[in-house]
Amino acid sequence: MVTTLLILHGLCAVALLGAITHQTFAVWWPSRKAGGMPSAFRAVHAARFTNGIILLFIVTFILGGVIYPPYRLAVRTYLETARMWSVNGSFELKEQFAAIGLGMLPFYWHVWRQPLDEALRGARRATCAILFFAVWFGFLTGHVVNNVRGIF
Amino acid sequence: MLAARLTPVFAAAFAIVYVIAEQFNIALVTYHPRIREWGWLTEAPRNGPGMYWFGWVGTAFIGALLIALLSLPLTRKGAPQWIGWAVPLATMAAFVYLLRAFFFR
Repeated sequence: MVTTLLILHGLCAVALLGAITHQTFAVWWPSRKAGGMPSAFRAVHAARFTNGIILLFIVTFILGGVIYPPYRLAVRTYLETARMWSVNGSFELKEQFAAIGLGMLPFYWHVWRQPLDEALRGARRATCAILFFAVWFGFLTGHVVNNVRGIF
Repeated sequence: MLAARLTPVFAAAFAIVYVIAEQFNIALVTYHPRIREWGWLTEAPRNGPGMYWFGWVGTAFIGALLIALLSLPLTRKGAPQWIGWAVPLATMAAFVYLLRAFFFR
């Protein structure tokens, strides 16, 4: 059951990663025409990703919370015994970044509400970049920790 | 618009209250994973480690909601929007500093 939830958590994280990366690239490095793949990747309608990103963030966060206790008992204990401090510390950072990202979601929703307010353009770019960093950091850290010691 | 006044304050307050809750271990709930039991507020570990992260998130949520609501009379002319992203960003940087011991052992 825990393995199933871990895989589901990972799949939701992949979808979230794709959505937030699309939106961040579209808002920071927009492309007017979708010629090849790199420009098509950036030529999306960024605002349309907002509700999906919020939903995926919350679902991924909840699933992460559900599988956190088995991690605390089996994985973190191992990391401490093996003195893998940087891996352990990276996971600590991941959980703090995820929590702060969760608290930012209402503001993120507000700045991306349509019709878009031009005065909030800077806030849109900033919130997007912060969530982009938090999601990528969380994904990569989770992947590394799972490689070091998975949950069974 | 109410969202323009509430959401930046909520985001900033959530980040600040979360750091305080984490640093001083002020948890709304404690989970004891070994015995699968929940307890109110910060409890000492029972038969294994105690988990406080859920409680810190709960503390931050309630604290931020209260601060955002209490700030409404002060933000009648609008709340500064930049605090909604700058404070969480600063908090993330603060966590990198606070957790530096993990990376310099």
